[in-house]
Amino acid sequence: MIRFLLMLLPILAVSACASQNAAITASDSQMQVRQMQTRVYDSLDKHDTLRSVLATLQDLGFVIDTADYEMATITATKLDEYQLRVTVTVKDRNHSQLSVRANARIDDQTIDDPRTYQDFFTVLDKAIFLTRHNVD
Amino acid sequence: MRKPGVLLALLAILGLLSSCSTTQPGYFNPTQASVGERKMQARIYVSVEEAEVMSAAVAVLQDMGYSIDEVEARLGVISASKRADATNRLEAFGTLTLDSMKCALTFLMACSGNHYGEIDDVQDIRLTMVSMPQNDGSVAVRITIQRRIYDKRGRLSEQSTITDADVYASLFAKLSKAVFLEEQGI
Repeated sequence: MIRFLLMLLPILAVSACASQNAAITASDSQMQVRQMQTRVYDSLDKHDTLRSVLATLQDLGFVIDTADYEMATITATKLDEYQLRVTVTVKDRNHSQLSVRANARIDDQTIDDPRTYQDFFTVLDKAIFLTRHNVD
Repeated sequence: MRKPGVLLALLAILGLLSSCSTTQPGYFNPTQASVGERKMQARIYVSVEEAEVMSAAVAVLQDMGYSIDEVEARLGVISASKRADATNRLEAFGTLTLDSMKCALTFLMACSGNHYGEIDDVQDIRLTMVSMPQNDGSVAVRITIQRRIYDKRGRLSEQSTITDADVYASLFAKLSKAVFLEEQGI
């Protein structure tokens, strides 16, 4: 029994964590990931939404790496004891709504905890409210 | 006697499995310090166009030796970076002296003093200026700054967000001057 379990150890050590090539793509369900990372807003103002994303990221201590209005994509980095990198995209969802998606990585790991994304959108909600009412 | 062995092997397998999953704390929770930081990092410029503020900001960054990495005028974003010296001369002198003394003490033996390699050497500074037009016609500007410090061996010794109010005050002083110069067309 012990010998069998000990033989199992190296196999687990190799296969338990994803292999190097598997990291290029990801194994999680695409739909689940999208749902977790996306929030829908009753607004069609892409410009103000992107400005709110910038305010949110700066509030959270990020420096903006790239920002593109046409593609509605912003990438930012926060340095602490860790490196937190987030990309936020804004898209038209339908005739009256926009969707905002954020995906984040902490050092070499994808953040896959829904609560973390909820926290981000909570701060963004406030920023969107402030931008709409133009309060600094 | 076999039971503890089996238990240990099972524990080892459990350990391996659990090492791949991590608990993630609230990275996007604004801290209590956020409000204070916002005040320190932001200024309002009155009776000036956003484009003028952005143009002045680029000029100020160039004055300070930064390279512009990203500009998105429609969103008021400017990001810039520079590599600069991070040597603290006093620290360098102290460490070098300590290493020399160690060498002298170890005499003909190999020098064990190698702390000189651990002192800070260079820093990569990155900053973002975001301008935001307000309803009353003024323009709010917010700056966030980060840096990575590397030691003389090229190893990362520190990475952080700059929270020193004097740094931001000094930057805004330069920006205010540049906005004035921009208005005067200088």
